[in-house]
Amino acid sequence: MRLFIMRIHVYAKLKDYFSPEFELETFAHNTDELKRCLLDINGQAGQLLDSCRFAVEEGFIDNEYKLKENDTVIIIPPSSGG
Amino acid sequence: MIRSSSSLPPAEVSQALRESNQEVITAEPLDIVALLSNAHHPAAGAIVLFSGEVRDHNKGKEVAYLEYEAYPPLAVKMIHEILAEAREKWGLQLAIAQHRTGRLDVGGSAVAVITAAAHRREAYEANQHIIHRIKHEVPIWKCEYFSDGTHQWGNNCNC
Repeated sequence: MRLFIMRIHVYAKLKDYFSPEFELETFAHNTDELKRCLLDINGQAGQLLDSCRFAVEEGFIDNEYKLKENDTVIIIPPSSGG
Repeated sequence: MIRSSSSLPPAEVSQALRESNQEVITAEPLDIVALLSNAHHPAAGAIVLFSGEVRDHNKGKEVAYLEYEAYPPLAVKMIHEILAEAREKWGLQLAIAQHRTGRLDVGGSAVAVITAAAHRREAYEANQHIIHRIKHEVPIWKCEYFSDGTHQWGNNCNC
């Protein structure tokens, strides 16, 4: 296991808990581990993070996706368009 | 999603161009009249237009304005997929959607969906299906700003 850097983009209410864009140096290799890292930054975001989807570029990812160096991870709260 | 224009008859070429050229996510005010005037099709006997507009109240509070944000790389792709699926499922002649980002004042149109079909049932059903999926699945978010100075990120539990 080694530390690596990924970029994180958050939207909507998540911006109440995190900067809209930031770099994270992390051991997280999947979305569950990434969520734990984010909770270490702001534990109040837990309930919202549990309802979020994750994406890399133009595709949603699940916990099976192996996060890698320089990934930009998009964290997507429940939609509220319309 | 859009077939090669060389294999399509002229009416379908025109349709494909209209649907592919319009921006599905835009920071500019929606021109509902222009969208509708561009949505006619010789095989369509029914055209349904839905405009989701900013109302002046929500949950007992006076709404001053809304702000929408989106993640366009995914939102554009998803809306195109939703439209394509609806065209296929209901045999539509046209399916168009546009969604705003940025600030909208009361009365502004936040989203427009137009469906054109041979008969009204298909046009109505497809239109409802499209707007439902856009509201619930596409990464677009609404923040309501109230007249009392507070604000709240939206959810769709009351739609």
